[in-house]
Amino acid sequence: MSFFGFDTTLPRDHSHSARAPGFGQPADPFASLSGGAADDEIIDFEDTYDGLGDQLDDADDALNDDTFGGGPATQQTVGKDFDFAGQTSKIANTLQEEQMLFEARNLRKPPPVQASKPARTGYESYHDPDYIPQLEARADIWGLQPKQVPQQKQPEPQAPSAPAKKMMSLDEVEAMMRAQTASQTTAAPPVQPAPAQIPPSVPMRHQQQIQHHGAQDQFAPQILQAPHQQQPSFSQQQAHAELPAHPVQIQPPRQPAAMQRQRQTPDNAGQQPRYAAPLPSAQRPPSQPRQILQNPNRLSGQGLPVMPPPTGPRGALPVHSRGPSFPSMAITPDQLMQMPEEQRLAYLEEEARRAKRNHKIALLSKDNGLMTPQDKNFITRIQLQQLMAATGGLEEARSEAALAEDFYYHVFSQIRGAHRQTPQQPANQFAQTYLFQTNSRFGAGRRHGRGGDNHMQRMEQQVQRAVEAAKAKPKNKQLVIEGSLGKISFSNSKTPRPLLNIKRAETGDKHPKPHKSSIADRKEVLRNIEDVYRALMEIDDHERALPPPINEESSPEAIQNHMEWRTKFQALHDKLWEATKIMEPINLQSPTPHPFIAMLSHAKGKKLISRLFRHIDDQERVTVITMIVVHLDHLPVVNQAIATPEEPLSPAIREQVELFVHAVIPPYFTHIQTSPLNIVIGLLEIILQRTNLHLVARSKVGMEMLTILLSRAEILKQSAPEMDVTEWEKWTELYNRLFDTVEPVLPVLFPGTVNDTDDKYIWQFLAAIGVGASPEQQQRLVLGVKDRVMDTVTVSRALPPDMSAARLFNVNLFMRAIGLDVELLG
Amino acid sequence: MEEKDEGGHAEPLDLVRLCLDEVVVVRLRGNRELKGRLHAYDSHCNLVLGEVEETIYIVEEEEEDEQSHVRIVKKQSEMLFVRGDSVVLIAPAEGIQDLRS
Repeated sequence: MSFFGFDTTLPRDHSHSARAPGFGQPADPFASLSGGAADDEIIDFEDTYDGLGDQLDDADDALNDDTFGGGPATQQTVGKDFDFAGQTSKIANTLQEEQMLFEARNLRKPPPVQASKPARTGYESYHDPDYIPQLEARADIWGLQPKQVPQQKQPEPQAPSAPAKKMMSLDEVEAMMRAQTASQTTAAPPVQPAPAQIPPSVPMRHQQQIQHHGAQDQFAPQILQAPHQQQPSFSQQQAHAELPAHPVQIQPPRQPAAMQRQRQTPDNAGQQPRYAAPLPSAQRPPSQPRQILQNPNRLSGQGLPVMPPPTGPRGALPVHSRGPSFPSMAITPDQLMQMPEEQRLAYLEEEARRAKRNHKIALLSKDNGLMTPQDKNFITRIQLQQLMAATGGLEEARSEAALAEDFYYHVFSQIRGAHRQTPQQPANQFAQTYLFQTNSRFGAGRRHGRGGDNHMQRMEQQVQRAVEAAKAKPKNKQLVIEGSLGKISFSNSKTPRPLLNIKRAETGDKHPKPHKSSIADRKEVLRNIEDVYRALMEIDDHERALPPPINEESSPEAIQNHMEWRTKFQALHDKLWEATKIMEPINLQSPTPHPFIAMLSHAKGKKLISRLFRHIDDQERVTVITMIVVHLDHLPVVNQAIATPEEPLSPAIREQVELFVHAVIPPYFTHIQTSPLNIVIGLLEIILQRTNLHLVARSKVGMEMLTILLSRAEILKQSAPEMDVTEWEKWTELYNRLFDTVEPVLPVLFPGTVNDTDDKYIWQFLAAIGVGASPEQQQRLVLGVKDRVMDTVTVSRALPPDMSAARLFNVNLFMRAIGLDVELLG
Repeated sequence: MEEKDEGGHAEPLDLVRLCLDEVVVVRLRGNRELKGRLHAYDSHCNLVLGEVEETIYIVEEEEEDEQSHVRIVKKQSEMLFVRGDSVVLIAPAEGIQDLRS
């Protein structure tokens, strides 16, 4: 520190004492002052006392005592002095907050804060004169009789400290120090000073020291707080009281006392022998324990070096600067120049290292404390809430609760929310943090705001409820398998996996299920198909084993064989019929198609039909056809096979359609060819009632099946006019419905352009529908497809003769059905 | 399949049976792959495939830069008999596509 520069010039006494064993460590700042004072006169002391160190120590202790005040009364005085400043700075804090708030809010300013009376805060204890005697009482425990001296001293420090409100500059402090040392050299050095004998300059020094502390703390970066706290308590507390607004100084009230106690124990042990010899401790009751507490430098490099070692090699500096708050500004440039070369170098080096470290710490701790403990609590609470919602669901769904768990809503409402009642009430933690965009140290040690308490409370409630919910759950947390020696534990506090597993299982099941089921369905369908094939092969096999036909002369064994074969055949037939799964109930709403229809979506399933038809009787064939017709618009070959000129069918679908037309339609056609009218009527009715006719009529498969039904009905009509009249009425009614339904889609019946040659089935369908149409219906039919007819005729003229003939032939299928001919158009 | 029904899906080859008349991917020894419709198989994994696309992966070592790269040769066959001792893997083509997507 700068003002000790003069110490280096002091006589050998100092360098000697500093080098003396046991003295290097306790860097006693007062040694410089007192030693300088005693320098000339008291050489006898070295003879008087066995150790130079003892002498120096005692002197120092005495001075310390005076400097800091012998008793608690001094503290009281100081406390009273700074009371105003404390309050003002408190309010200044609030003012700052309000300023920020005003800017943020851009609203009318809240009621003037200065006017209102300061309310109680947690820090009033520091202003309160009643508060300090508590410390005294504790000091009594240590064997003090504290109230002896203070009364005498009380007026002395009060006078000088009152004007000292203004922070002194470093230069001023230095100057004062120098002047003081000068005056001290003239004065008689107090070896065992009674407090009353203290020269008037001592209070001055005391005060300077306090100020010096304040200055130090201001210079030291905030992040170094933690090291600061190791500082011996008394000086800290003083500075504390004087500068209550300073963030570093704000401490939980209990701490100083605790620290005092901690400090005392090792110190006492260390100093015991020194005091034993020269001084009866009873002589100086107030000073002895006090000095232990008050002289921070006793604690070697650990404590804050209030003053650096006065003389001796500057190389000792690094030891002291372990105390991290060694202020860089303390040495002025000119004093630096005064230092010896190596000393200066060492100092500079040390300085640079320290600055580097500070910078690093500052960088690392840049964002420290952005979240206040309240914020963290809040988040924890939300997480707990969510856990609750996920597991127990004890949380009632209140909109208020929903709002309350919104962190940002809270921040917003705290900043924009209600005005504080008093200026002393600190702005809420949230508001502070997010208004100032600063860290929580600003308000460290403050009483928790209402919000904070609330969160803590609510969190506790949450925890409690969670625990209750956990208790309420059935306690099957251990599985004891019979006959086994141990238990299997499902869940404990360290592995809460089962809780989470419940959720994961739920979500996990939902996701892959559709995928899995589709594969399973596919497998199932394939297996069904294979079962049918297997049954078919068995029945085919069995057919080959048909025994020779029996007649009256056949041997009984032959008849027996034949009977067995028939029985077996029937069994195999039943098995085949069962394998088709065709008798399973129909559910058109079900997402999975009927097993029989599902088979038809596979190529080999389609190929099954013709082989199946060979082995089943007529009734069963009707069942199969009915089943197909009912699901007509569910068949992929129908509902995925609606082509438009812009969007022709994909090759895969086209292939499927062709396969269906060649594998399924022929047995269907064969069966319909031999069916009576009632079957045809029934099938057409099913198509009209249960299927989407527009879909059916626009697909090749559907159209061909309709064509077959219509032509069968027409053939029946022409060949068997003696049929039941009611059936014909029924048929006519159905036909009219079909016609009315199909008429709107007539223009879009053709899936391709005019150049698409694959349109024969459409002309066939039109022919079939036109044959049975009334003259009025025929007109409508012609109107619907007139354009297509004309276009096809026009196009076919440009084609080679054979192709043209083929196309005109197709058109003529329809034209002739309604009694016309393409020739007439020409 | 884990399930044993009347048809007796106890053997692995019964699963191959499900692929009958379906497009399958067959991997063969010697870096060859076949993709085609499975018409028939037997217990030796002899296969008859239709509309087959054969893919041969030929690893070529180039001496100058000592780098090897794979040349792919494709062949089309109307119908193919595959001797079972070269068959490494049979998979339904759709299932493979499902896995890839």
